[in-house]
Amino acid sequence: MADKDSFLHLARPLGPAPVGAQPSTAPLNVVVQPQAIFSILDHALRRPADQDRVIGTLLGTRSEDGTEVEIRNCYAVPHTETAEQVEVDMDYQKQMLQLHLRANPREVLVGWYATSSDLNTFSALIQNFYGQQGDGTWPHPAVHLTVSTVPGEEIESRTYISAPIGVTAERAADSCLFIPVPHELKYGEAEKSGLELISSAKDNEDRSQPIITDLEALERAIVHVLEMLDRVSTYVNNVLDEEAEPSSALGQYLMNALSLAPKVDAADIERDFNNHIQDVLVVSYLANTIRTQIDLSNRLATAALTLGTGDALAGDGEQQRGGDRQRGGRGGRGGGQGRQQRQQEA
Amino acid sequence: MADTLKDSPIKAVQVEALVVMKLVNHAAKTFPTVATGSLVGMESGSQPGLLEVTSCFPFPSVDIPTTDDHRDNNNSANLAAAAPRAKANLAYQNEMIKFLREVNVDANNVGWYTSTSMGNFVNLNTIENQFFYQKDPNERAIALVHDVSRSSQGSLSLRAYRLSPAFVAAYKEGKFTTDNLQKSGLRYHDILVELPVHIHNSHLLTSLLHQLPSDAPKEELSFPPNLAALQQDPNTPEPPFFPNYDSLDLSIDPFLEKTCDLLLESIENHHTELNNHQYYQRSLAREQAKITAWQQKRKAENAARTASKQPLLPEDEWQRLFKLPQEPSRLETLLNSRQVEQYARQVDGFTAGVSTKMFAVKSNLLPGES
Repeated sequence: MADKDSFLHLARPLGPAPVGAQPSTAPLNVVVQPQAIFSILDHALRRPADQDRVIGTLLGTRSEDGTEVEIRNCYAVPHTETAEQVEVDMDYQKQMLQLHLRANPREVLVGWYATSSDLNTFSALIQNFYGQQGDGTWPHPAVHLTVSTVPGEEIESRTYISAPIGVTAERAADSCLFIPVPHELKYGEAEKSGLELISSAKDNEDRSQPIITDLEALERAIVHVLEMLDRVSTYVNNVLDEEAEPSSALGQYLMNALSLAPKVDAADIERDFNNHIQDVLVVSYLANTIRTQIDLSNRLATAALTLGTGDALAGDGEQQRGGDRQRGGRGGRGGGQGRQQRQQEA
Repeated sequence: MADTLKDSPIKAVQVEALVVMKLVNHAAKTFPTVATGSLVGMESGSQPGLLEVTSCFPFPSVDIPTTDDHRDNNNSANLAAAAPRAKANLAYQNEMIKFLREVNVDANNVGWYTSTSMGNFVNLNTIENQFFYQKDPNERAIALVHDVSRSSQGSLSLRAYRLSPAFVAAYKEGKFTTDNLQKSGLRYHDILVELPVHIHNSHLLTSLLHQLPSDAPKEELSFPPNLAALQQDPNTPEPPFFPNYDSLDLSIDPFLEKTCDLLLESIENHHTELNNHQYYQRSLAREQAKITAWQQKRKAENAARTASKQPLLPEDEWQRLFKLPQEPSRLETLLNSRQVEQYARQVDGFTAGVSTKMFAVKSNLLPGES
């Protein structure tokens, strides 16, 4: 989705703004996290029926020299747009920013987004608002992220920073030069499992997916790997049958991959395998034994007194409980032994 | 379990992809501290009983000056876990919801979320939070539990829980004595009711997902001239999000070790609780023996007095003289048992996957034998 256009940044344009108050227009790299995009898309769906685009504030982190911006989070800001004027709820933006910063103290304001690829006078106006001194991102440039949300077309995102431009001082507020900057979509290790689940629903008709268990995930991964192996072996067979064009580079690559298989003694494998499978099974067995013991203990604890009332019973209950405790203790010791044994093997 | 599910007003939970992402991010950022936040959404109009969670936001992190003192650390962890029912956070939540309403988000609180590690979430804090939500602001509230360490091992672990009505009733009374448990028939299986969770994507999101990561190019590619060119080829597709090859990972020991530690800890807790209970039983028996002795003495005295025609002494004075010990609450035991069950299930699930993988590896390395 992140476009791979190349950019050439030339000398910074000279604007009418006073010296020193001008935000830096040095090129920067923008990294967008999927969470932000997801949030923008959600906002796009919830826009008022009469509005073409909605806007919101981008939050994230900025590297020390200001050349790397990571967009981590965003929130929607209500605004109304007519042919003549645009109105952004500044008060809302300020209060929401404070609420967000309380929960994420490390994030800062980095810019704003709009859910349409158009850039117009209002964009410039809003851009200048976000880049201003005081509440804005000054002295860093405000990043403007556009995400197109036209139904039926691919979702396209672009990022810009701006440079002041304008003929006269009074027009400076609603005009600026949008400079495209490169950006990419990056996801962290932690988000991978979430993305996996989310994208597993992408081919479903109802766009929903129950939570998959570990075992199902494993099965699907194995099936997928097998498919790929099939594809490669078909190709290799075709080459052997002189039906497909051979490639030495591919051959070399496959050889390298195959030589990654470890060369170990069969006896070693057998031993390691047995050790490990025993560990796994012992832990599983013990865990289930403990579960049963706990269940039993709970039942005895409440069942002991149903036999009657009085002193004789207290003693009786105590005895049962004592026996039960011993059993529980044995389970515990067993667990301990199992663990020691396993740690030795490990 | 099926019966309790029927009673509950919520039968299934549908979670928007956005919520999953926010939750996962927040939990990863604050790990190993517990991350908590609020869920907003609404009950589905077309399908009663289906709770749609459409957005969420984190609670402000609790900033406590961390000292080297271990006790203080514990304290801060407790505070983080108790965040969902803290007063300041309730105000935060109300304000946030007020603002979200302005941008057309379904602004109803429907519960809270928490992160956990290795399924270690069945404790008093969770119960109290969920009780707090389920009783007061919205009786349809749910708790979403995201397991950070299990998710890093492969597939996402996200579960939705509610307290069972029986437990809520018992918790309201605040009495978890043996008598009460017998009467209500409450067992540790019945504390939490798990609800099935579905993930839901919007149309726009589905469209986005089909764009990334880019598929392998469709047209015929020319062959690379050499190996270096192949490895640097920009056309190389990234591994897809789904299926996730991480689930083919073969690490066993860390997981088992951690689970064993946690299990042992639980057993120790169980032990302490049982010892407490035993102590109670013994002191109860002792007191009762004393009372009986006193009663017999008083009876004998009264018999002597009757013989000598003196006025009788009252026989129920023992209630004033002796005090029966208070029975310790069994709530902790119940929760602990539930926790052990949780661990055992977890181990079961893990074993199933890992033994499959191990047999696969074995037959891969020793092709002739199987």
